[in-house]
Amino acid sequence: MLRDRFNQQSLGVPLNTMVKEARILMVGAGGIGCELLKNLVLTGFGEIHIVDLDTIDLSNLNRQFLFRQEHIKKSKALVAKDAAHKFNPRLKLEAHHANIKDPQFNVNWFRGFTMVFNALDNLDARRHVNKMCLAADVPLIESGTTGFNGQVQVIKKGQTACYDCTAKETPKSFPVCTIRSTPSQPIHCIVWAKSYLLSEIFGTSEDESPELDHSEDSENAQEIEKLRQEAQALKLIREAMGTESFPQLLFDKVFKDDVERLKSMQEMWKTRKPPRPIDYSSTVQEVADAETRKSEILRDDQRVWNLHENIVVFRDSLKRLSRRLQSMKSTSDLDAAEPIITFDKDDEDTLDFVAASANLRSIIFGIETKSRFDIKQMAGNIIPAIATTNAIVAGLCVLQSFKVLRGDFSSTKEVFLSPFAPERLLSSDRYREPNPDCPACSVAQTRVLVDMSRATLNDLVEDFLRLELGYGDEFVVNTETGPIYDVEETENLSKKLKDLGIKGDSFLTIIDDDDENPRVNLILNVQEATTDLEDRPIKGLDISGSPSADGDRPASPIPRKRKSAVESNGQGVTGIEEVHPMANGIVGIKRTAEEALGHESGEAKRPKTTVNGANSANGTSVNGEHGSALIIDDSTDGAIVIDDD
Amino acid sequence: MTEVVTNPTPPILHGPSDKEKKYDRQLRLWAANGQQALEDAHILLLNSGSGTVGVETLKNLVLPGIGKFTIADDAVVAEADLGVNFFLDEESLGQSRSERCVNFLQELNPDVKGEHFPKQEGDNIEKLLGYGRQYTLIMYSLPIEPYTLALIQQYGQQYKVPLVSIHSAGFYSYFQIHLPGCFPIIDTHPDSTATTDLRLLNPWPALSEFTRNLTKDIDNLSAHEHGHIPYLVLLLYYLEKWKESHGGFPSTYGDKKAFREFVSEGARTDNPEGGEENYDEAVAAVLKTVSEPSLSSSVKDVFEYQPTAEESDSSFWIITDAIKKFYGKHGELPLPGSVPDMKAQSSVYVELQNIYKVKARQDVAEVLETVRQHPRGKEIDVNEVETFCKNAAFVKLIHSPDSSADTLKEITGMFDEQALLTMMPLSLLPIYLALNATSHVPSASTSEIIATISKTVPEACSDPRVVQAAEEVARANGGELHNISAMIGGMVSQEVIKIITKQYIPIDNTCILDGITSRTQVLRI
Ligand SMILES: [Zn+2]
Repeated sequence: MLRDRFNQQSLGVPLNTMVKEARILMVGAGGIGCELLKNLVLTGFGEIHIVDLDTIDLSNLNRQFLFRQEHIKKSKALVAKDAAHKFNPRLKLEAHHANIKDPQFNVNWFRGFTMVFNALDNLDARRHVNKMCLAADVPLIESGTTGFNGQVQVIKKGQTACYDCTAKETPKSFPVCTIRSTPSQPIHCIVWAKSYLLSEIFGTSEDESPELDHSEDSENAQEIEKLRQEAQALKLIREAMGTESFPQLLFDKVFKDDVERLKSMQEMWKTRKPPRPIDYSSTVQEVADAETRKSEILRDDQRVWNLHENIVVFRDSLKRLSRRLQSMKSTSDLDAAEPIITFDKDDEDTLDFVAASANLRSIIFGIETKSRFDIKQMAGNIIPAIATTNAIVAGLCVLQSFKVLRGDFSSTKEVFLSPFAPERLLSSDRYREPNPDCPACSVAQTRVLVDMSRATLNDLVEDFLRLELGYGDEFVVNTETGPIYDVEETENLSKKLKDLGIKGDSFLTIIDDDDENPRVNLILNVQEATTDLEDRPIKGLDISGSPSADGDRPASPIPRKRKSAVESNGQGVTGIEEVHPMANGIVGIKRTAEEALGHESGEAKRPKTTVNGANSANGTSVNGEHGSALIIDDSTDGAIVIDDD
Repeated sequence: MTEVVTNPTPPILHGPSDKEKKYDRQLRLWAANGQQALEDAHILLLNSGSGTVGVETLKNLVLPGIGKFTIADDAVVAEADLGVNFFLDEESLGQSRSERCVNFLQELNPDVKGEHFPKQEGDNIEKLLGYGRQYTLIMYSLPIEPYTLALIQQYGQQYKVPLVSIHSAGFYSYFQIHLPGCFPIIDTHPDSTATTDLRLLNPWPALSEFTRNLTKDIDNLSAHEHGHIPYLVLLLYYLEKWKESHGGFPSTYGDKKAFREFVSEGARTDNPEGGEENYDEAVAAVLKTVSEPSLSSSVKDVFEYQPTAEESDSSFWIITDAIKKFYGKHGELPLPGSVPDMKAQSSVYVELQNIYKVKARQDVAEVLETVRQHPRGKEIDVNEVETFCKNAAFVKLIHSPDSSADTLKEITGMFDEQALLTMMPLSLLPIYLALNATSHVPSASTSEIIATISKTVPEACSDPRVVQAAEEVARANGGELHNISAMIGGMVSQEVIKIITKQYIPIDNTCILDGITSRTQVLRI
């Protein structure tokens, strides 16, 4: 076919055929997803399934090119599918406007794919897909971008490092006392405005905010008790919403009285600058001039507002939010729950309120104030995103997919975009080995077929784990909610699995407590048998014990834990890897695609003995060979938690 | 359960515009002035070959909102185009490729204007380039007719317009940036930790006086006051004392270590903590902040450059000249003016911040005064002078290389030698040589490619890696892989944005991509 000519030519017939026959799952149809879908379609992939829960937002349109103004609020997955279909109607495309964590997407469903692409924007979903792909033993190509930075990684169970092999930065939480009593950075004041003030006045209580750490100890117990009382008093002021005196009551409470109380605790300010309370009635007279410029101030997104301007915005946004909440109350049903307003970075009213309140608090504590534009980013965890980075990363994903299709995992790369190392733009590293201590991939996995009508815990413990897999006396069986069996807790043995909360598609973890030589953790994926299992109610699907020679105890198919991380490091590579022999190409003879792509010829590998490659010519080289954390130049905040929605 | 209501927003009468919202995620990278530069830009793409890489590059420029683009392309859409170019469909078959691509690209962003060329019978390249200076930047994809290329190069020379060439064939690709003359960048976005400049070894009178006041009775200060002298003031105080006893400031590493000791001895230890936090901060800051002011090589390069008569009339060179004079007079650059966070009493810290800010403002005023003396100085925006002063230590000049057979020979001579020495992956130069040999022909056999290479760098032809690259280019037969073109298109548009916004440092000047190994290399060719 003519249309296929270039692909056929460059990929070669065997690879081109593999591409056409592959079944692909793409999780996420956002920034990377749009680019990736286009590239997959034009590379000739025959069948692509798309899962995305999100709907399209105005701020997506600067890069998610399959979407237009008229698609706002529609499903990303469905609109992306339609756009790709228009391009090639012969394609087999399926879209799910759904959460990838939904039970319909179980391990067996994942097993139906040749490979999976992650084009996600959050840690939680990434870890979930990582887990599912490990359980289903399907290769995963993981990618992410933030601003000019990006990253691509191939994950194949047992062969390359998985997403969880290196610890990921978790969202930051702040001690409640830092936020409520001793702020020292702009972010502390922003979190205060968003997770305390806004939610106490217009939402539910701050206790539900994950950004606040309420852990108590003997040192802060007294202060925390005081803070509780303060919050109670604030709730009372909430009753005055809508009255003339409400703004002053609220302002004086949080910007004067509470500050006075803090200021009076002198031992708190021995090593910190004491705060300066602001009095409403005396300050409000000075803001008349700023008041006349209100609409101009509100349009001024990138300039830092002064004290008076912040007061104007505070009062105005408070009025807007109060009115909104009251009209919500007047129209809501009597028996319905109390309506609330929560922070949304794209909701102007909440953003104005948080920006002005945070700045006022910063002024009180002598902390630098910020523009609304900056506060939006900090309060809304906004990650900069552009089309260019997504295009590069999506291209790299597809390049890695060719190696995955050929099963050539040893030549897969972990690639980083390094836009601030102008001598390269990309840095590609050899894949990393799995981390032997990784909780997600250093485990054994198997599916078990279970006759739910009769299988008991005893069937699992005695017949399957002990007799078939060779487990000894000491091990623990955990469900996703907690332990159901160990050597001392045997009362559940006679119970049926279904009565212990185990269903089809649930996961069980078997932890071996053998003193001498424990097995790695075993993860069982429970599959409900649809036909009658003749002899045994539980059958292993992927592994089963082979009777050992003496017939006494079966040899265990579950590997033992490695003794230490050091031993298991550096499989296969010793000394300097030989440079591939040059291809003996003779002028005039065409190389086949097979020859060209079959190996990566002529690439000198770094010697294994130099532990870090930092001495390379440009000094920014990273070395992932030892499973060490990879570092990239990052102008923003140094994090490699990479996201693009 | 509480009902969570997030979105019954009343009509919005204030706040950022829809455009700001649409571009929110990118404004965080290049700010409003970068966005304005993009919106003022008109980009010309001369498309050729199978035509995908240029269109993919444009896509990434249309999305963030360049002002205008023009695609010049004689081709008529053929069946093979549909397999590689996303911005064409079945209905496009037999029609003008430039017109169809412009229509599809324009759909991506209604704020962007698109034009196609040729529009009518008889439209030719002379006409396209004959309207004078109207393009901000020209991109052309290879292969290209030598005659057309010569006209583009002439246009670039005449109007000082940056040119970007792109070649994508099979798994290989490269792009090359040709900047007109010297290309200065003020806003290079240096790492935020690198920008602190405290002037500890050459404090100005206000700072010295402030230090004297705060430390004049240092031994009799209360515990609270002593523990709250900002570390910056402590360092200034002990540097002065060190100078008295040593006759100069600590300069060597050994000196600085001894000085660190000297500072820490000043801390009071007769308190429950057994030390003072501000002294700890001072000790920790010694190595990073106690250093003679020196110009970075990139600033020296800017200072030493002799702008041409034409160049010297631009605001960059007028401000540079003023800053050079400033440096000549004071032996230091204008002060950036920011002070890092430190333990201090609030009022003292604010005062300290003000001292730095006032000095920074004075420096800007002095530079501005010099600028104003220039005949064109009145037209220069004070904001530009301020930005320049703030970034003065990080300005950068990119000199375009002289493209000639000799440089290519030189690079070829050392390409793998260097790679082996540093244990870096081998050079991608062979890919460039092989693609470059097909700059003016739609496709070529391996032997034809080798023959062309031998005309410029005969010694490369015996290298098996060059032969291998030639084979691969021959095999691609002038065809593009969509994925490679999309990826290099992403990289090209990234560099184009840097050039148009004059922010961040663009590559210098050739980036080669090997799609088989997912590697790139930047070479100056
Ligand atoms: Zn892992």
